[in-house]
Amino acid sequence: MTYAIRDPERSIAEIDDEQLPVPEHRLHGAGHFLGLYGAEHVAATEFVIGAAFVAMGATINDILIGLLIGNTLAALSFWLITAPIAVKTRLSLYTYLDQNMGEMFSRFYNGANVLIFVAISAAMITVSATAVRALFDIPPQIYPYPTNIYFAIIAATASVIAVMVAYYGFNVLSEFATICTPWLMVMFTAGGMVLIPSLNEALTGYTTLESFSDFVSLAGTTVFTGINAEGEPGIGLVEVIGFAWAANTFSHFGLIDMALLRYAKKSIYGLCTATGMMFGHYIAWISAALMGAATASIMKLSIAVISPGDVAYYALGATGFVIVIIAGWTTANPNLYRASLAGQAVFPNISRQKVTLVVGAVVVVGSCFPFIYRSILPLLTYAGLTLVPIGGIVFAEQHIFPRLGYKSNWHRLTGLKDNKPALITWAICLVFGFGLDFLDVIPFVYLFLPTFVVAIVSYTLLAKAAGADKDYPEAERREQAFDRKVKEYHAELAAKEGHAHVEDTSLLTRGIRAVWIVIGLVVPAVLAWRVLFNSPNLYDYYVNRELFYDVTIWCTVIYFVFAWWDLQRSKALNRS
Amino acid sequence: MRMLKSVWFSGIALTIGCVAGSAQAQTSISVATVNNDDMIRMQALSANFAEENPDIELNWVTLEENILRQRVTTDIATGSGRFDVVTIGTYEVPIWAERGWLVPLHDMPEGYDVDDILASIRAGLSFDGTLYAAPFYGESSFTMYRTDLFEAAGLEMPAEPTWDFIKEAAAAITDRSNEVYGVCLRGKPGWGENMALLTAMANSYGARWFDENWQPQFDSEAWSSALDDYLMLLNEYGPPDAAKNGYNENLALFREGKCGIWVDATVAASAVTNPEQSKVAGNVGFALAPDNGLGKRSNWLWAWSLAISAGSQKQEAAKKFVAWATSDKYTELIAKQDGWSNVPPGTRTSLYRNPAYLDAAPFAEMALASIQAADPNDPTVEAVPYVGIQFVAIPEFQSIGTAVGHRFAKALDGSISREEALANAQWVTGKVIERARFIED
Repeated sequence: MTYAIRDPERSIAEIDDEQLPVPEHRLHGAGHFLGLYGAEHVAATEFVIGAAFVAMGATINDILIGLLIGNTLAALSFWLITAPIAVKTRLSLYTYLDQNMGEMFSRFYNGANVLIFVAISAAMITVSATAVRALFDIPPQIYPYPTNIYFAIIAATASVIAVMVAYYGFNVLSEFATICTPWLMVMFTAGGMVLIPSLNEALTGYTTLESFSDFVSLAGTTVFTGINAEGEPGIGLVEVIGFAWAANTFSHFGLIDMALLRYAKKSIYGLCTATGMMFGHYIAWISAALMGAATASIMKLSIAVISPGDVAYYALGATGFVIVIIAGWTTANPNLYRASLAGQAVFPNISRQKVTLVVGAVVVVGSCFPFIYRSILPLLTYAGLTLVPIGGIVFAEQHIFPRLGYKSNWHRLTGLKDNKPALITWAICLVFGFGLDFLDVIPFVYLFLPTFVVAIVSYTLLAKAAGADKDYPEAERREQAFDRKVKEYHAELAAKEGHAHVEDTSLLTRGIRAVWIVIGLVVPAVLAWRVLFNSPNLYDYYVNRELFYDVTIWCTVIYFVFAWWDLQRSKALNRS
Repeated sequence: MRMLKSVWFSGIALTIGCVAGSAQAQTSISVATVNNDDMIRMQALSANFAEENPDIELNWVTLEENILRQRVTTDIATGSGRFDVVTIGTYEVPIWAERGWLVPLHDMPEGYDVDDILASIRAGLSFDGTLYAAPFYGESSFTMYRTDLFEAAGLEMPAEPTWDFIKEAAAAITDRSNEVYGVCLRGKPGWGENMALLTAMANSYGARWFDENWQPQFDSEAWSSALDDYLMLLNEYGPPDAAKNGYNENLALFREGKCGIWVDATVAASAVTNPEQSKVAGNVGFALAPDNGLGKRSNWLWAWSLAISAGSQKQEAAKKFVAWATSDKYTELIAKQDGWSNVPPGTRTSLYRNPAYLDAAPFAEMALASIQAADPNDPTVEAVPYVGIQFVAIPEFQSIGTAVGHRFAKALDGSISREEALANAQWVTGKVIERARFIED
């Protein structure tokens, strides 16, 4: 870190790209973000969160309406809060904090990130481990802690491998994650379709649904019953909206997704997050809940204790193992990587290897405890509450300060080491947010809203007292000089790099694409459709389901081979 | 909302809950039950329990059967202890007991006569020799027949008939022109409908669902013979559209005088001998369920029972209630209020020694003999790895049983051949069990 990075005397080319605003020629259009967010929010967590809504006792109407409203609010938050700041600064939040908040603030922030990302990574690796436990004859893990030493060994081994992959093969796995999106979307939807007849039969004795109202009735009676796992009346519409909105608080109100949206040509592309919200957090959550309820019914277990691996296996057969492992690892991998990076920022004097090792060790231990993944929804909500004050602080600097005549970059201009108003604001907000939670004044999923406001007000007042409303002519001249040099550098870069993406339209590529689309996606979707709508009784259901299982695993293999081939050809063409 | 917080603070909450619980003067227990006549009657009579146990308060949660099963499963599997006493059948008891979800009932309150419970019912509600649920209703199946038709045909029903005799008798008394059908058997698909009858029938032919390695056995000669005879009986001597007839439909046919022989639940006996409900009430005889000379009869065993959740914090109070509701005193209470014909049958030996009950239920001795002849731990001629007579006590059985039931119903209505039905049964059972064993073992 440090403000010395913005020294105009320094050669811009020597500065790491991450520390500079994104150049204009690297900006992306709406299509890029539609795909990106679709991928980002269809992950292994959806298996867990879908089931969590069932265990919390939401009703079907609250789910259908509440998730729609909550996810719409989330997409609007990305559009109105995250995207404008990202587009204005063209920086990731890490870089922004690094350049504006001082060393201590960055260190605390990164420390919080270490904890959050370690927990998410551990949870996702546990999810993957639940998929392979059946291969090793390990009994279902229905308690918060591991009840079988071999499960702990598998989870720990998976963690060690994930840590190594995160360390050595991050780029390959990230690349691989990009081709998973369409397949994950189809599989999540297909899984729900495949298990609905089984669920319906268990309740009504019939495998067929005649209408959407039948579906609502089935889901309302068996899945979203309004009664929680403790047999008490469950959460209501307000809470469902809150959970959906708050599930990604740290991304929108907390501004972490500035890292992605800084590449948006226009801030309205923040609305492209709707693909992730409406598919991953709507269809996939509902589908996962249906799958969970059906599996619970088959296994004569409670949805609160069945594992994602079992759910996926009953929904998708052998492909279920693949989806849980892939969805788990593609989520765990970037989070593990983020945790390591954040860890290095907290302890800059300790070697990267050592930090990674320590972070990895914590993940290894955490992944042995099913409690963590089963608590993913409150975990995400509390993580959001912790990080939302940072969003409020940056929001104040970027939107409130200019209107009040304060300097957005006032702290950098002062040249002081630590941004004390920011540190104090964060501390106030944590006390305020968690204090409200303790007092149980409002549902905890909504705590981020007053906390965000408190952050804005506190920081505005404290920053003014610290000199945000003053002029720093010398420093401002230096900043302007630096910004000019960055512009010039970007212009040179644009001339060198070009910015036209070349579309591969060769016959071979079209053929490859047709194979992964038709065989990899359309065939499983049609087979799942057949299971749902062409199974007049349980026997026919099993015949259709087995066919779906048997064919889909091969479709999956073909999909990944051809989609990967397609990706590599496209990359090679653009490189050349 | 509160639930989610408790995920984080469950340890503290549990501690506080325990302390608070122990401070209460009156123990409140929740009883989850089905909305059938027996349980509604029990609810009405529970004031007597309250009088005897003023320190225990009963909270009744009465639900439709499928919903109850789902709700109770969730509660018990998570060990949340919301329900202290749950109503379950012989199908669930061994499965749940094996998972450690139920409290063993080896130390019931003093005065509770465990030995009076019929041995076969006790076996059906036990796991590894330990009783896990106490019965309040039990049944088996037997043969009901029209004595007048038999007399007219010059036949005499043996007390222990064989399937060959049933075939012979059905042929002799069938009179389609007068809508009198020789035999009525369950044909409606479902694990509790045609497959209950067919599984029990197949047992007597030496068939079994699985061998000791959990390999399906529908490709055996025994299953082929059993299904062949079943199809022949219903096609030749059964009522039209037999594949649509379950317990209720056959009961209606028998009461209308349209069935010569009916092999079904012992509970039907009171309905077919009640002159207010049955046109043939005075002409009904009873015999054991048929066999095939292999040492196993085709009678099944079922009991509704009360069990205590392992998650219950009030197990002693729950035991007191279970003991009261399944005791001979409770039976006497019902008899006093509603008459002996309304007492839940099939659970206690003492009931079948009671002259008042035997007078009210002339079929009682045959029903008792049928229940006693059933052994859920040894249901088949050859050894099997499972418990259960007309079902296999594994979680997957409901769906497999119904799937197979659909194929056999198809064979009955002529849509597919017997061979195809058996091949389909073999395939679907193998597939489902293979997946289940893979994921659950």
